[in-house]
Formats: sequence, C-alpha cells, structure tokens
Amino acid sequence: MNPKILVVDDDNALREMVGIVLTAAGFTPEYCPDGDTALATFQSVEPDLVLLDVMLPGKDGIAVCREIRNVSGTPIIMLTAKTETQDVVLGLEAGADDYIVKPFEPSELTARIKARLRPITSVEDSVSIGPLILDVVGHQVLKDGAQISLTPLEFNLLLTLAQKPKQVFTREMLLEKVWGYHYKADTRLVNVHVQRLRSKIEEDPDNPKIVTTVRGIGYRAG
Amino acid sequence: MLSLFRRSVQARAVATTVALSGVLLIALGGFLSFSIGNGLFEARLSQVLAESEAAVIDVQNTFAASSVNDEVALQTLMNSVVPKLEATGVADTRRVALLRTPGQSSIQLLQSPISADLDTQLISQNFRAEVRNSSGRVLYQSIQLTNSEDSLTQLSPGIVVGSPVEIPLAGKYELYLVFDLSSEQQTLDFVQQTLLIGGLALIFIIGGVAYVVTGWLVRPVKVAAEVSEEIADGALDVRLLEKGEDVIAVLARSFNKMADSLQQQITKLASVSKMQQRFVSDVSHELRTPLTTIKLAGDLIFEARDSLDPSLKRSAELLNGQIVRFETLLNDLLEISRYDAGAVRAELEIHDLNQVVGMAVASIDPLAKNRGSKIQIELPSEEVLAEFDARRIERLLRNLLANAIEHGESKPVVVAVGVNEKAVAVSVTDSGVGMGQLELERVFDRFWRADPARKRTTGGTGLGLAISLEDTLLHGGSLDVWARPGQGASFRLTLPKVQGSEFGESPLKLPSDQGSEPESASDGTEARP
Repeated sequence: MNPKILVVDDDNALREMVGIVLTAAGFTPEYCPDGDTALATFQSVEPDLVLLDVMLPGKDGIAVCREIRNVSGTPIIMLTAKTETQDVVLGLEAGADDYIVKPFEPSELTARIKARLRPITSVEDSVSIGPLILDVVGHQVLKDGAQISLTPLEFNLLLTLAQKPKQVFTREMLLEKVWGYHYKADTRLVNVHVQRLRSKIEEDPDNPKIVTTVRGIGYRAG
Repeated sequence: MLSLFRRSVQARAVATTVALSGVLLIALGGFLSFSIGNGLFEARLSQVLAESEAAVIDVQNTFAASSVNDEVALQTLMNSVVPKLEATGVADTRRVALLRTPGQSSIQLLQSPISADLDTQLISQNFRAEVRNSSGRVLYQSIQLTNSEDSLTQLSPGIVVGSPVEIPLAGKYELYLVFDLSSEQQTLDFVQQTLLIGGLALIFIIGGVAYVVTGWLVRPVKVAAEVSEEIADGALDVRLLEKGEDVIAVLARSFNKMADSLQQQITKLASVSKMQQRFVSDVSHELRTPLTTIKLAGDLIFEARDSLDPSLKRSAELLNGQIVRFETLLNDLLEISRYDAGAVRAELEIHDLNQVVGMAVASIDPLAKNRGSKIQIELPSEEVLAEFDARRIERLLRNLLANAIEHGESKPVVVAVGVNEKAVAVSVTDSGVGMGQLELERVFDRFWRADPARKRTTGGTGLGLAISLEDTLLHGGSLDVWARPGQGASFRLTLPKVQGSEFGESPLKLPSDQGSEPESASDGTEARP
C-alpha cells in the first residue's frame, strides 16, 4: 500500500498540484484546506507524513504542528515561503522534522518525503548508551526500564550518535545521515532537534550528559 | 590665547569693547587733564599779574615819595623793597630781584638786592631785554624752577614777571618777581592720577559688563548650537526652552518649529520607506505560493516534453527556463528588500577563502563549459583564513563568475586569491567586451545592465552586483572594479581578516594599477569616476 501523505494548505491550486506530484511519485495524497480542521483530519486519515503550510487561515501551521506533535510522532515537513530565521526556528521548535522553502521542485519534494519515510536500519538489534537502551526493532527507548517516547527522527538521531559512541559528528554529517541531505543544508535543523532530544532524554537538558556538544565541531554521544 | 579668540565670540566681544573704550578713555583723559592744567595756569597767571602790577606801582611810589639823597639811605630803601615783596609759604612763594639795567653811563656803587634763594640765571637775558623795552608794562615768562629738598632736585613750573623801575639818583632798574607754581602742579598731578585710576577702574568695569552682557546674549546661541548637535546625532525630540517675547525667544520658537517639521519629515520618510520595504517583502512572499504551483506544473510538463510535438516541447523548455529566472529575480528582490530594511545579519565564521572559491567555481562550472570559457584558478598554497559569511561570499563569487563568463566572449576567466597581514582578496578577471567609463560608473546600480541592447542570454536579474556590493559592505570590505572597452573587466573583493578591523592595501592588484585609477565602492556609494 502506498504511503499516505496529508497535504495541509489553503491554496487550492497548490494543494491539487502537490497532489498530482505525489501521486506521480507513488504516494496517496489526502487534503486539508485550513488549520482549524487539520488535527481532526489528521486523526481520521492517519497519514504516514504531513506536509504543512506555515501560513494558514485560522490556526497557523506552527500551532497545528504543535497539536499533531502532542498526539503523534508522525513526520511533519513544513512548507514555508519565508526563510527568515524566526519562522523556520519556530516551526522546528514546534516539532517539524524538516522544512521546504517555496518555490520547490517536484524532485526536491519527493526526495524530502522519501528521506523521512525511509525505515531506520541498524546491524544491531539493540544499542545502549549511558542509562538508555535503544530497541531498534521495536523503535523504543528505555531509560531505567521506563519507556521514553521519541519521534522517528529523534530516534534516528540518537541511534546514529549512539552507534558510534565517543565519535564526534559534525552537523553536516548528521544532516546527511539523519535527514538525507547530500548538499549543504540548514544546520539549525540539527541544533533544534538536538535540543528537543535532550529535553526528552537528559536529566538536566541545560547540562547534558548523554548527547554533548563539542564546541566548534558538532555533537557526540557518551 | 589666539585659538580662544577664534573660538569664542564672547572673548572677541569683550576684547573689542575694552580696546575701544580704552582708546576713548585715553583721549578723554588727555583732554580733561590738558584743560584742567590750562585753567589752573590761567587762573594763577592772572592773579600773579595783578599782584605784580600792584607791587610795581607800590615800589614806584615808594621811590617817588622818598626824599633820600645819599647813597646809604638809598641802599637801605632799596634793600627794604625785597623783603616787603617777598612771600614765603607752602601755597604761595614769591622771590624778588631788583636788577640794575646794564649799559647806563652813571657810575653805580649800589648793590642790587636779590632774594636769598633766587638764582638770577633763571631770568634770561632775552626776557630782560624785552622788559627793558616794554615801556612800563608788566611782562611775564614761564620758567622751570629747581627745588632742592632733601638733596633731591625737583623741577617745578614757575612764572617770572618783570617791569622796569625808575629809581631817583640810581637810574634805571628792573624789578623781577618769580612765582612758584608747584602747588598748581601738585593739584594737576593729583587730578591726573585720579583720572588714571578712575579710567583703569572704568575699563575693568566696562570689560566686566561686556562679559556679562555678551555672555547673556551668547548663552542662548550656545544652547541652540548644542541642541542642534543633539538633533543631528539623532535625538529628534530635543527642543529649546521658549521664554519671554524677545528676539532670543523668537529664535527658540523658530528653531523649535524647524525641528518639529524636520522630525515630522523624517518620521514620515522613515514610515514610507518602511512601508515600501514591507510591501516588497510581502509581494515577494505572496508570489511564492502561485510560483510553486507554476513551477511544479512546469516541471511535470518539462519532464514529459519528449512526448510532445516540437512547438509544445520548445514551449515547455522556454517555460522551464523562465520559471527559474523568475524565481531568481524574486529571491534577489527579497534579498535587496532585506538589505533595505536593515534586516541582514552576517553569519560570521572563520573559513578558508580557497575552499569557498573552489565551491563557487565548481557550481559555475556547467555554465562555463556551456559557454566554452576556461576558468583559471590562482590560489596561494596555504589556507587563506578570514572571518566571513560563507554563504554570502560564495553567492557573491558565483555572481562575479557568471558575469565574467557572460561578458567574457569565451576567453579564459582568471580567478586569483591573495592574502596579507590584515586582508584577504579574490579577483575575477575576464578578457571580454569590458566596459566604458560611463558604464563603469553605473555598474552597481539596481536593474542596470552593461549593454541594454545586448541579448540577455544567461538571464541575470540585474540585481546581482547591487547585492554583491551590499554583501561586501556587510562584511566591511571593498568591491573594486576595473574595465576597458574591448579589454575585459576585473572585479576585486577585499575583506578584512577580522571583522570590524581596518585594512589598508588590498593583497591583490587590479590591472588598472599599471594604468589608471580603479573604481572603488568600498564606502557605500556607487562606483565613482
């Protein structure tokens, strides 16, 4: 069965056009024209991924993103006309996995979606780092026996770091391994998601022990 | 002192006032002292003459009335004349001399009686001659008296009065009375001294008054100058205190009115300019959603172009190319509006300029191959480290390279990197069509193209160099250009190694360094001749 993609955008033409592109790429598109009904549509459709416009009538994309994140870890890609720091960072902090700046090409859109839907793979079935145990098969993280809920992206980020403890990953390396970017991309993606990950797994997110920053280079686990 | 004079209106006003009133006071004092001295002398003279006439008549009568007929009695009588006429005192001293007129035939044995402390040298021979010929009138002459007191010789003015006297039996004599005017001199000295002291005091008082008055007049001007300075520095709310109805209050009111209207104009302009920037930014954003749809549709059609008939296929290709161009234009417009709104922040990090140049060259390589241009790179062997926003500098270099390839007529394009202690530099030089002086002056203008008649082959937006210049200025660098028609053009970017630091010479030379001056755009203006 084709993966279901929920397209939340108020522009009829763009929504339909994105649908055509998605169908041509082998996805099943579902539509929602505004922010107020987005969560309800999300819950009834149960999509594999959400394409979410930032500028929506009624509830804006950032609020919708926060709502969906509260109930699900489903990948969210924001569609934004603005590249200004504030909008992008707000969207990522609200829980979006990635963002695409308008106007984009069909190939760019499908590549971003495929990167987010790619299954997480690992040679080991289970990886442990500090007090955490990552169950790769079950997509679960256990801390002292208790389960921590991570989005697929956060799980992938933590797994990538934990598979090679002590090794320092640059932001560019993480962008390639976790987000699937093969060219220069926005390093703020990494910064924001490391912060979100820390807030879930660290005792004290301001003083991290598991995922630490290596000043001027990047991050490492352990 | 001189500089104080130049700087301070007050100092100049006070000095001028003091100098002018000084001159006037000296003239006035001179006149007063002269007329007082004159008056004193005249009064004393008329008194002296009256006394003398009385004395002469008295002496004449004494001799006429006497009935002496022997020499001894006559001598006694003559001797008695002197003490009778003599007077001694502080205010009024009189010396007397009864001198025989020389040149008389009768033998004279009688002594001429003279006051004890009178020096007959004081009575000049000329004066005596005049007296002899005066036919009985009383004559006078001003003389200089010598007073010896406490072994100090003092000169004081005096008057000698003379008249001929006929003495029976003895013949012609001359009676001289010498008057001392030292008391008048003392009075005059005192008056002059008083005038001097009074004059000096008056000059000081005038100076003080001038200082206070000019200070009082200059202060509002000074305050106005300070307030203007503050307004010029951006404090548009500052105003002068309006008090009273005088000219200074009028100045303050006019000044405040001017400041009000200036402030209004500036605020209005600022809000208009903000609105305009906002509008450009909003338009750019609003255009993005329909452009996305157009782009997605165009791309699908373009991908399927091989199944279309030739004219539709060509249309799809043209559509695709123009969509790309439209998007670039929109991005450039948005970038310029960001610069205009002052909303641009450089993401500064230390980078190797060689690497950034390499990336820019790699990304432009397809265009160069397409045009048959070769790109020659001349890099230093070591890393060229400097603090800059790599994304912007790479974009800037891509733009310079694209321009060089577009106007380079397929001749090689040379990219060189240079470094010195304080700065790093990249130059992009082509040997193509070049530019004339007029074109050179406008090269950084928005939407300006080197040759309007030329086909727009690579589809630049006309904003490229304007953005490049903004990017350069954002880094505190300079973007210089050299060009000659038919010889090519060279653009040189120079950046400080450390942001915010000054750099002198660029590490690279433009071709013009062997010829004429380069165009510089380092100070934010467009290239100047």
